[in-house]
Amino acid sequence: MIGSTLITVGRSLGVTLKQIFRGTVTEQYPEYKRPVYPRFRGRHRLNLHENGLEKCVGCSLCAAACPVDCIRVVAAENSADNRVSAGERYARIYEINLSRCIFCGYCELACPFDAITLGNDYELSEYSRSDLIYTKEMLLADPIKRTPVADAALYDTPTPYYRTDS
Amino acid sequence: MSAPELVGGSAADRERIAHELVTVTIDGRQVQVPKGTGLVEAAAAAGVEIPVFCYEPRVGAGIGACRMCLVEIEGMPKLQTGCTTPVTDGMVVHTAGTSEQAAAGQSATMEFLLLNHPLDCPVCDKGGECALQDLSFRYGSGKTRMTFRKRSLEKPIPISPTIALDRERCIMCFRCTRFSQEVAQDEELSAVNRGALSMIATFEDEPYRGPFSGNVTELCPVGALTSTQYRFKARPWEYEQAASVCGLCPVGCNVAVQSREGRVQRVLSRNHPEVDRGWLCDKGRFSYSHLYSEERILTPRRRGVRELEELGWEQALDELEGMIERAQGEVVLALSGSETLELAYALAKIVRQGAGSDRVVLPEQAADALDPFRVPISALAEAEEIVVFEECPVLDRAPLIELWLKQARRNGAHVTRIGPSGDIQRGRGEAALACQELAEKESALGKRLRAAERAILLWSGGGGAGGCHLAALAHALGLHEKEGSGALLLPASPNARGVAEAWAAAGDENRQPRQIGLLVVSGDEAASEPQVRQLAEHARATVALTLFAGDSGEWADLVLPATGYLERSGTMRNLEGRLQRLRGATGSPARRELSWLAELAGRLGVDLPGSEAALFTELSAKVLDGISLASLGDRAPLPPRVEAQTFEAARAESPPTLLGGPLELIRYRALFSGPEVEHVPELSFQRPAAEVEISPEDADRRGISGGNEVVVRSNGTRVTLRARINAALLPGMVRVAAEHCAELARGVEVSRP
Repeated sequence: MIGSTLITVGRSLGVTLKQIFRGTVTEQYPEYKRPVYPRFRGRHRLNLHENGLEKCVGCSLCAAACPVDCIRVVAAENSADNRVSAGERYARIYEINLSRCIFCGYCELACPFDAITLGNDYELSEYSRSDLIYTKEMLLADPIKRTPVADAALYDTPTPYYRTDS
Repeated sequence: MSAPELVGGSAADRERIAHELVTVTIDGRQVQVPKGTGLVEAAAAAGVEIPVFCYEPRVGAGIGACRMCLVEIEGMPKLQTGCTTPVTDGMVVHTAGTSEQAAAGQSATMEFLLLNHPLDCPVCDKGGECALQDLSFRYGSGKTRMTFRKRSLEKPIPISPTIALDRERCIMCFRCTRFSQEVAQDEELSAVNRGALSMIATFEDEPYRGPFSGNVTELCPVGALTSTQYRFKARPWEYEQAASVCGLCPVGCNVAVQSREGRVQRVLSRNHPEVDRGWLCDKGRFSYSHLYSEERILTPRRRGVRELEELGWEQALDELEGMIERAQGEVVLALSGSETLELAYALAKIVRQGAGSDRVVLPEQAADALDPFRVPISALAEAEEIVVFEECPVLDRAPLIELWLKQARRNGAHVTRIGPSGDIQRGRGEAALACQELAEKESALGKRLRAAERAILLWSGGGGAGGCHLAALAHALGLHEKEGSGALLLPASPNARGVAEAWAAAGDENRQPRQIGLLVVSGDEAASEPQVRQLAEHARATVALTLFAGDSGEWADLVLPATGYLERSGTMRNLEGRLQRLRGATGSPARRELSWLAELAGRLGVDLPGSEAALFTELSAKVLDGISLASLGDRAPLPPRVEAQTFEAARAESPPTLLGGPLELIRYRALFSGPEVEHVPELSFQRPAAEVEISPEDADRRGISGGNEVVVRSNGTRVTLRARINAALLPGMVRVAAEHCAELARGVEVSRP
């Protein structure tokens, strides 16, 4: 009776001992951030042309492609003294509700001008839901490079051309 | 599948050939169609699609401009255009679906059309509802062989403050120019230059100034002609659409009101073939933005010490309740005729049952005597004889009728206008006399009217006892016995008949107070009426329900915000007597009338439901023979004619003699006037100029030539206007738009300053 109990205890202690000599698997997030895959789909960004004009013309195709209806675009017309985008039309309001977004990436596929691309940032927690509605200014701003990206060469699928700059 | 529509030719021709059937084989499918049917329609009847850009039967027969409809016809050496080819018996046709030659021709056409077409679909307002986009997706190659730079032109060119032209996108289908030349007949749009350089232009860069110009934006199969108001407001898939009815004139065109994010973004036609045939006037199409004018009042206002001051709804209803109590039954309701039946009924119930008064000011309306001569508006196109008693121009009262008259003339009808500037010139107020003479005396016109199989009489103007004189004439001509014949009255307000019905349904007593303790004015139109203004001067208190405080703000003690016709749900009765449904497209920034009227009714002890549907059910049981809202459908049917009864119309009298001056002033309300137009900056170029129209004889006698500044005066009132010589105007008459005549009396003198 006692013998069988000792055997059981010994066996479970053996499991514990074995784990002690295995290396650690816990990653010290947020102190350490593991690199994400190059094609990881995180927070969106809106891109600019080299001359500083917005690539987005406010065509709403991203909003049409969005399966969860989290994008709102209200367009307006460029004028001589207020030229925002390259075409006749620009997005006066461009909002993404990131609390609804499922990061499917359809918006960047739909975009005819590569104006919207998905970046790598996934740290998007906020205290208030309304803070998760990202405005055009937030999406245009350079991302704070918080998320390291793994070397694309390690993977056999290349990063698509429209995401090379993120 | 609907029967193919015949195009062109007179009504009689079409009737004759409609009975002859021919058999054609299209892509191996045999189909029988009436002789003379176009190939495109015949193919549709066989279930085969022949794609088209330029072909639009409503603007005339096909012209084969775009070459998209190329087909192979056995026995013909080359490809033929389907839209210009009528079918013949035994014809064997292969479309691009089965013939390689036709497919090659069509894809080459597509390639040519896209050669210079810019790839700016994401920017273009037409993107998503564009015929070129849809058809190139289905028939285009997907790749271009064009390696040169595409043609680039100046764009967009505002051809009028409401329409922008983008010549790069134009595929030269000539739909717009054909509309301008054949349908609207304003001849303002045309194609200039030749070959690859041809383009659409207005004459000498003048703006496209026509009352129907907006239709070209809807006709354009690409994004070449777009509305400036709607520019970049939304994409076609982002709308919520409400199938409503225009509430600005008595025609009641069926409209699709498209809104996004709670704002109306554009108004398109919904094509009721018996009412509007898919056309709209520019007032109906472009005036929607008056709803978002900053001058619109959204909260109740009370007369303060100096000006109107805002107050809350609770206070406003307290105030109104107090006013009704203090009036002690001496309440008068002035309806403008722009209310829905439901709203008029709710107001009538409050006044008749809550305030205990039965005095009302109703807009002029068609009498019951005209009901036996009821006819759909579309019958005008088929008529042989049309007589218009035109004291007020048809265009200003019911603009779409003018388009139908043009269509009638194209189909070979005689259109005779009787009025101050008509084919038969009669003075103001003499229309009833003319009507009586036509019924009693022998005349060439009378003979033609009696002989015609389809004759229609129109009455556009006041007086005439609500069309009783017209009904008497129609009766004398026997129009109630002839199919396609009839008589219509064009009232000044959109729902005149309906509000009268609603008033009658709300009570059956007849208490007529002698004094006016409280005047309730509903609608901006009523508020701008001089007659109502006079009543307001005699009233101890006045309440106005208006969108804007422009007129009512000057004399009303309490101004309550109204909703616009695009925000209202309910029903309206148009000039034919057709009961049509309005469906509110958006919520209103002002509180719904029915909501606070129901609250007020509760305080006064009147049982008034707060929803349109419940009010309609109540009304329907009382005056509309128990019909249901569902039976009106999206495209309302015309109620059947009633049995004709003989009646005695009062004898027409000559108009009273003039006082104040030798010339008779015709004060007319122009189409582009009223608060809906005044608050839309894009439409200001269409508003009537500060002009006085004068006949050449009167002008000569006074030494006035066209363009001179002249003074129009009567009884001490003087107005300075520019003279315009109108050769069609009867001598002794002058015409001035209502907004420029101020307080001028009926008799005026015109002289150089």
